[in-house]
Amino acid sequence: MSSHAILTAEDHRDLRVRSEAAADLGDAVMGCLTFPDEFRRVQAEFPILFRLNPERDSFSALAMFGLEDGENLFLAEEGWTATYRPLALSIQPFLVGRNASGDGPGQVHIDMASPRIAKSDADGVRIFDEDGQPTPYLEQVASMLGELDEGYRASAAFFDALNRHQLLQPMAFEVPVEGGATNRLVGYHAIDEDRLRALDGAALGELHGAGHLMPIFMALASLGHLATLARRKVQRMDRG
Amino acid sequence: MSVSGQKKAGAPDREPPIRRVVVVGGGTAGWLAACLIASRIDTECADPVTVTLIESPDVPTIGVGEGTWPTMRGTMEKIGLAEADFLAACSASFKQGTRFDGWANGEANDRYFHPFTAPYGADRDAVTRWASAPGTASFAASASAQPAICERNLAPRQRQMPDYAGALNYAYHLDAGKFAQLLARHGVERLGIRHIGDHVTAVERGGGRVINAVITRDTGRIEGDLFLDCTGAAAVLISGEFEVPLVDVGGILFNDRALAIQVPQGEDAPLASQTNATAHQAGWIWDIGLPARRGVGCVYSSRHIEEGQAREILDAYLAGTGGSGSANAQDARLLSFCSGYRERFWEGNCLAIGQSAGFLEPLEASAIVMVELGVEALLEDFPRDRAALAPRARRFNALMRYRWERIVEFLKLHYILSRRTEAYWRDHRDPETIPARLTELVELWRDRPPLAADFSAIDEVFPSASWQYVLYGMGFAPPPAPPMRHTSPGAVRALAAQRDQRERSLLASLPSNRAYFEALGTPPERQKVTAH
Repeated sequence: MSSHAILTAEDHRDLRVRSEAAADLGDAVMGCLTFPDEFRRVQAEFPILFRLNPERDSFSALAMFGLEDGENLFLAEEGWTATYRPLALSIQPFLVGRNASGDGPGQVHIDMASPRIAKSDADGVRIFDEDGQPTPYLEQVASMLGELDEGYRASAAFFDALNRHQLLQPMAFEVPVEGGATNRLVGYHAIDEDRLRALDGAALGELHGAGHLMPIFMALASLGHLATLARRKVQRMDRG
Repeated sequence: MSVSGQKKAGAPDREPPIRRVVVVGGGTAGWLAACLIASRIDTECADPVTVTLIESPDVPTIGVGEGTWPTMRGTMEKIGLAEADFLAACSASFKQGTRFDGWANGEANDRYFHPFTAPYGADRDAVTRWASAPGTASFAASASAQPAICERNLAPRQRQMPDYAGALNYAYHLDAGKFAQLLARHGVERLGIRHIGDHVTAVERGGGRVINAVITRDTGRIEGDLFLDCTGAAAVLISGEFEVPLVDVGGILFNDRALAIQVPQGEDAPLASQTNATAHQAGWIWDIGLPARRGVGCVYSSRHIEEGQAREILDAYLAGTGGSGSANAQDARLLSFCSGYRERFWEGNCLAIGQSAGFLEPLEASAIVMVELGVEALLEDFPRDRAALAPRARRFNALMRYRWERIVEFLKLHYILSRRTEAYWRDHRDPETIPARLTELVELWRDRPPLAADFSAIDEVFPSASWQYVLYGMGFAPPPAPPMRHTSPGAVRALAAQRDQRERSLLASLPSNRAYFEALGTPPERQKVTAH
């Protein structure tokens, strides 16, 4: 469904992109990818959980917005209701492209099939100005893409360390909903607090030296926001 | 605001309460006043205020200009109209300020903006920044992103923004006839205004300077506690009944005629973001773009040129702006007016609102905003009973007189700094024709910029920013560096950088006026725009 193109001033001079948060623009998602360097910003508002990929050989980190598929409890009619909007959402519909070999500097690509490509000149934000120079919006997107790209690449070492110390454990979270039923969040992993407490000084020193200790604690602290999700869920149901 | 209409036990007997407001006259002023009052009534109280509007079927309404002031956004919101409905019903467009062509010296590149958005940074900073980088941009372009937005015919807001919110300060151009119709419909259907289509034939006075009732031809006697004279130039109550004289300012502002015409506009023609005011040998020409037509008018002084000359001037303007194929200056409607305002606006239980209170040439679109400000002043301190009238009348008269005087001075400022050499312009610079307060201010501004402290009343019609835009737009030399440091140079540089970044963001994010109004028929996406 996607149609990726390298972004150029020649091809996209007059293109306008809708940068606002809205369900019909693809923001009705229960979570998005995040990475250790972003944990500090994410944990202030969202729970951070981990999930095994389908091949069950590597983990990724997710900022959670809802308790079921397609549910985003931070998205309201008036837009994004949290203070922070994670990078993986903010950069839409742009992405980092690379040549076939997969190395070398990344290029800014754009998904021309995205609903964020404005269909009317009355909507959206220009990405190039009349002289073909990037607008402040595109400059910011490019900077976010760079951070995101670097963040994903650096996260492999983080997950290696979590595996090595077996710091992830499967978790389940249940929210009572109407009529005595429960809404259950399953299939995710979280930091195992008991194992973290049991690590010896050498292990902690190693994690700290590699810069992993801080994001581990950030992810652990973020679990308090599971209650935030539950509260928002109940509020939303109360409003009908 | 009264919490309850009930008297406290033991309170002394009061004079008759003010409960029945009667607006005499329809048109923009009458309907706007009636809607503003009706929308603010506390309907929960024991004996709520009622609003009756008497509109004569005999008297055609005169569209007093088609430009509003940014206050209109708050006014429409208070009245309870959705912005898209308002825009569509009035064939409105956005107004972000005025562009003045040919006012300083009449040469080809003589042009400046008076945008609605105040300079970036406090009072002095914008002037300091501009003065310290000579020869670059005009003052307005250096101080605000709005001129650059206007030059590209961009809208002041994005469709997704909440109603009446703008990325830049803005007002409207509108079809005044449709505007009055919209207000009438909304006022009667939603706000409970009683509408009587009848002609007032007589006024029944009570004791003192109080009106008890107006007598109409078919409906008979209509009693009221408070009367609003919105009868336009006829001023049936304030002048006809109370004989409050006019303060004539024709010796300061010479224009007394206007030739008005409508020019059809193609749907693909760019839609301007500002009123264009182009100076000519004995006056100026307004040019207001609405989605489907332009309103153009040649304002002039009959003491300086004949009507025939004015038609030629208008004809040449139409030819120069692509309008001569679709409109002929010979068809333009001639309007006569005299510039002035009442000695008093509130007499007994009667308030003059709109043209009955005064009229000035439409150079800065002050007519409708004076209706809004007058009614707001009434509502802010609404009299409870007849005893409360006199002290409020005194305060209201002082306030409104202050405002009219300031507007007259501000309009005069547009003329006195000109270097044009025609007799009309020379006459405008005659010191005898310049109000003393204005002379003193201009003298003051040789040493320092116009500051907020120079215009310190609440709700000044024209804040110091407006005076800065016109003063420096007309080529007045910026003041030398002051002996006192008011803002650190670093802070001024930081502001300049912020301003530039803001302009780039706005240029990227605002749609063109045309695109905005073409999309007006399709429902705007209601999601909020996130900051980026």
